[in-house]
Amino acid sequence: MSNKTALLLFLGMTLVTYIPRMLPVLLLGRFQLGRRTEKFLRLIPYTAMSALVFPGVFSVDPARPWIGLAGVLVSALLSLKKCPAVLCVLAGVATVFWLLLI
Amino acid sequence: MDGNSRRAQFLRGAKAGIPIVMGFFPVAISYAIIARQAGMNTAQIGLMSLSVFAGASQIMAAGMWQQGAGILAIIVATFLLNLRHVIMSTCVFERMEASGRAPRLIAAYWVTDESFAVFTTGTRREDLTVWFFLGLGLITYLAWLVGSVLGALLSNFLPELLSASLGVALYALFIALLIPGLQGNGRLFALALLTAVCNSLLGLVMAASWALILSTLLCAFLGVFFVDLGEEAEHEQ
Repeated sequence: MSNKTALLLFLGMTLVTYIPRMLPVLLLGRFQLGRRTEKFLRLIPYTAMSALVFPGVFSVDPARPWIGLAGVLVSALLSLKKCPAVLCVLAGVATVFWLLLI
Repeated sequence: MDGNSRRAQFLRGAKAGIPIVMGFFPVAISYAIIARQAGMNTAQIGLMSLSVFAGASQIMAAGMWQQGAGILAIIVATFLLNLRHVIMSTCVFERMEASGRAPRLIAAYWVTDESFAVFTTGTRREDLTVWFFLGLGLITYLAWLVGSVLGALLSNFLPELLSASLGVALYALFIALLIPGLQGNGRLFALALLTAVCNSLLGLVMAASWALILSTLLCAFLGVFFVDLGEEAEHEQ
């Protein structure tokens, strides 16, 4: 890729990535949100995170979709036991490493 | 030092970002490998991470370039893929304590799926500030940069088994952040399950980026009618 093409591409991608991220900064506060809208916004972290994990997690090893699932299940169990997120992530990775090995 | 000074908030934000740092390395390395195959040199690989800072888009862009797509097509695809950040950014800034516009415009640059996830789950109320988010954002940004450049330099030497198992890291992070919030709230758990099913089904009939946006919004909308977020959340404002 030539440097000129790369710079043009990066400039365009930066703009279309930054604009969606900053729009709420400019727009929020201009109008009062209703109770229902607020509840809707509070539910989004839960729905978004669930959608970010499923079905993507099944493609960690596309031939064996249960391997990724086993990794996040271990992470979920540790998180229920109040382990810090770093440990949950490490345990998930270790589980997948071990499953891929055997 | 004042326990809740801007500096203290910034440092707590950076600390909260450590799990994301670990999740970003493997993704940055995969991006570097694909970008390398698409004909980008180390400087270009680093510059793209420095300017764009969006993992999925960068991986997609490198893949599209390798398949011969033009830059306009890549930019349009990037825009579609990143539309979801309007939703995430709205949640982040709606929760954030009022602050000057300039720091919030910088913070907006660092809104990712991951910083959104950490900020909106389990962050203590006194930490819902722009300074906490700047600490969180900066450490994840640095991790993405360092990971991309290291990946570009080392991509040929990393054992495949290790990079394959690291692929689960971000999923494990999202789950670890999601589960504590669902605990003891059966209807919220049901909503998360519904979203997972909805996103999987929609993914069969449309691009994954649209399925994610649609299932996130649709299910949150449905949740308004049957999920109870509890007294505290309801009366927070």
